[in-house]
Amino acid sequence: MNWIALLLTCLLTVSASAQTVLTGRITDHNGHGLPGANVMLRGTYDGTSTDSTGAFRFSTSRKDTATLVVSYIGYEPTRQKITIGPNPISVRLNELANELNTVVVTAGVFEASDSKRMTMLKPMDIVTTAGGGADITSVMNLLPGAQRVGEQNGLFVRGGSGEEAKIVIDGMIVQNPFFSQSPNLQSRGRFQPFMFKGTSFSTGGYSAQYGQALSSVLLLNTTDQNQNEGLGISVNLANAGLTYDHATRNASISATGYYGNLKPLFALVPQNVDWTHVPELGGGSLTYRLQPSKTGMLKFYGMYSNSVVGMNFVDPSSETGKTAFNQRNTNIFVTSTYTDRWANGNWQLMSGLSYSHDVDATTYGTLDFGRGTDRLQGRAMLTRSLGGKLGNQLLFGTEGSRVTYRNAIAGTPYSLVDTYGAVFFESQVYAGRKLAIQSGIRGEYSSVLNRFNLAPRVSMAYKTGLYSQVSLAYGQFYQTPDARYLYRNTSLNYERADHLILNYQIIRNKRTFRIETYYKNYAQLVREFTGPNGTLGPYDANPYRFPWGQTNNTGYGYAKGFDLFWRDQQTIKGLDYWITYSFVDSKRLFQQFPTLATPSFISNHNIALIGKRYFEKISTNVGLTYTISTGRPYYNPTNPTFLADRTPAVTNLSFSASHLTHIGKNLTILYASVDNMLNTRNVYTYLYTPNRNDGSAPTRYAVGPASYRSFFVGGIVMLSRKAKVDVRQL
Amino acid sequence: MKTLVITLLTALLGITTPTLAQSPQYKQAMTDALTAMNNFRGQPSATDLLTVANQFERIATVESGEWLPRYYAGLNYVYLGFMGKDQAEKDKYLDQADVNLKAAEAISPKNDELAVLKAYIAQSRMIVDPMNRWQQYGPLFQSGIEQAKAMNPANPRPYVLEGSSLMYTPAQFGGGADKACPVLKQAMEKFATFKPASEFAPGWGKQQVEPLLAKCK
Repeated sequence: MNWIALLLTCLLTVSASAQTVLTGRITDHNGHGLPGANVMLRGTYDGTSTDSTGAFRFSTSRKDTATLVVSYIGYEPTRQKITIGPNPISVRLNELANELNTVVVTAGVFEASDSKRMTMLKPMDIVTTAGGGADITSVMNLLPGAQRVGEQNGLFVRGGSGEEAKIVIDGMIVQNPFFSQSPNLQSRGRFQPFMFKGTSFSTGGYSAQYGQALSSVLLLNTTDQNQNEGLGISVNLANAGLTYDHATRNASISATGYYGNLKPLFALVPQNVDWTHVPELGGGSLTYRLQPSKTGMLKFYGMYSNSVVGMNFVDPSSETGKTAFNQRNTNIFVTSTYTDRWANGNWQLMSGLSYSHDVDATTYGTLDFGRGTDRLQGRAMLTRSLGGKLGNQLLFGTEGSRVTYRNAIAGTPYSLVDTYGAVFFESQVYAGRKLAIQSGIRGEYSSVLNRFNLAPRVSMAYKTGLYSQVSLAYGQFYQTPDARYLYRNTSLNYERADHLILNYQIIRNKRTFRIETYYKNYAQLVREFTGPNGTLGPYDANPYRFPWGQTNNTGYGYAKGFDLFWRDQQTIKGLDYWITYSFVDSKRLFQQFPTLATPSFISNHNIALIGKRYFEKISTNVGLTYTISTGRPYYNPTNPTFLADRTPAVTNLSFSASHLTHIGKNLTILYASVDNMLNTRNVYTYLYTPNRNDGSAPTRYAVGPASYRSFFVGGIVMLSRKAKVDVRQL
Repeated sequence: MKTLVITLLTALLGITTPTLAQSPQYKQAMTDALTAMNNFRGQPSATDLLTVANQFERIATVESGEWLPRYYAGLNYVYLGFMGKDQAEKDKYLDQADVNLKAAEAISPKNDELAVLKAYIAQSRMIVDPMNRWQQYGPLFQSGIEQAKAMNPANPRPYVLEGSSLMYTPAQFGGGADKACPVLKQAMEKFATFKPASEFAPGWGKQQVEPLLAKCK
């Protein structure tokens, strides 16, 4: 029996003496200890967590060598062969690339996204900003780099005109993003902000993926899923509509229909416009999304709208000072995209096809000034991720479109067809986590010009601190001249802009500061010579005139300036406010300009102060916005210096509130807004009567908004019990 | 005598011989880790939670066929997700919860407890920034809850999460005690009959419900 006891004792002693204590320390690459790191020997239960100094100590029965596995959140896990023994082991871990420690190319970009954590805006900001009227472009106009031009449609970015900005939905250019413009009145965008999960507003230096915009692209990405379920009713002072949403496991459908008539609103808000047919509109949309596989996504979106408007508008060239304007617009837009990825997401495809049809049946007095466009566009883009821990990638793609333009000018029809093709290539390369370089090139061909262009773009960003970075971007941008020039002259060339942008930003603890400075050079701009034998004719300030004169590409110009953005969601609890300031200095020689001058759409200083607060107890969201735009040049025929006069500054204080409640058992959102609370008599520009033969002084007409102080109320009732309301949409 | 020696030796060696059945080492490690977890009093510190999460992750690394260590590691990271000092840190913990959830799902694809964990992660993500994340994570939370209920109607935990979420949602957003109490009561009814599927299978939830039920009439 004794020897059994001995054997057992031996065995136990052996196993006890075989225990070796391993010690060591886990640090980051700067040598700081990492507390709570997980340390173990591979294939065994032997291991521990590091203490508050990064040190560890555990025992193992392993002998000779083993593999030590170390992991820590946010760091690259490592494994290394070690010799079991008393010597302390030290392991350094490298931080994983993440949104905080990896640089992102940001020059020129202003992004609103939910999926990315480091953005200055969230999609909700578009809906909750007072003075924006839940209109995407109106809110973009409050961002740095953009400026407000009250009487015209479009995004005016850094000295660019409204035509120089393109609006792109899921990669497809939208030909008519705004409801048709009436003389001297701005109209809303056609798209609901709720449709989009992400918005990226580029004020310059943007990617080679996009072209045909001299100054800016606004990229809108549609949502992948329904935000609602069941039927909803919406009623406000101008509009009544129905929405229906339904989702299954891998598909979803949304439908909307509405009828709008501004009579009730106009009965309450005094109008500056002599309406002969109060704006009336009807339409609908259909969205269908299908996920045929785990990675694939097919989206279809179609919309139709029809609108009618009539007015007697201020027309200094008419004897009575007014001209009758009537317009009926029909618009169809359909777009379908398919995205997929393969090989663990290393290959990504984005493809799309879209068609739009837009007709304005327009008359000025009795003359036909109708216009229309048809656009067919296709696009395909492949992205190849180059692996690695950083986001190195190559991207290449192609797009093509066929656009038909039609205009009737005082009854004479003009039309042209432009077939356009482009290829683009872009690479994004990280040199470590601190430096990223994105370089691309885009080649384009337009059949109507019968010319090619090649536009290089490059941008880079360097991380200067944990929360801050600088970016630099340079790019060349081409745009086919306006169709109205091409009707009479197809030998024109592309207009061109070169952008140089320097940006610094710091985002820390819900506070954001961003400054961006830029220089933009315009070349090959179209000039018009309306005088005899191709000489410069007298300047005609009518914005709706047809360019009858000879044209060439000898125009040029520049825009330079800087933008500031400050947003703070931290200092005062519950209050979120931002301040934007944009300064631009720009001059051009283009169109019928006799000399280099600041165009009438430029205002040198634009300031926006935006504040919002959500009151949880009364479930009400309240916002205030104050904007100042300094005066813009206007053409005064009595002033010998061209475009030397300035309008007074335009200011606006607006308020909005929305409240969530129940009507019966149905969730209901009520909203109200007041625009121009101070009832300021803003003037956007002045128009003059033509020189009279009798030598009498011309008369000046002021062009302002359709109404001064105005208000709006409405509500949405969800009929389905399953309905949910997003607080963000208040 | 000889037989005894052989038996003893076999028993001793048996400990280190891998077998298809759960090894005593696994049982011991799980027992230790679960004991550490159950010994948390009141609000555990982030260090304690991380230590236990590490313990489970170490077990998971050895026992690549067991989903429970991954499940508990994920659960502890969800708790850490509620405690992180800022958004970035909370998200970092929840990213790691997701890593463990994915690994567990690969081992045990149709599992009601993992659906509960998925919903819990979504809820935690939402709480990081409710105003901005409601839309993205609300439906994910709901779908996790519904999957869990469908897979195992006897499991009280989807009701625990749903009930507590409703309790903390203001009435005007479709929450409140009126909506929460019936769900919490359902959870308690299910706890009365619920038997964990195995020794280490999840059993938590009752303690979370009890203080909330006090708010019900």
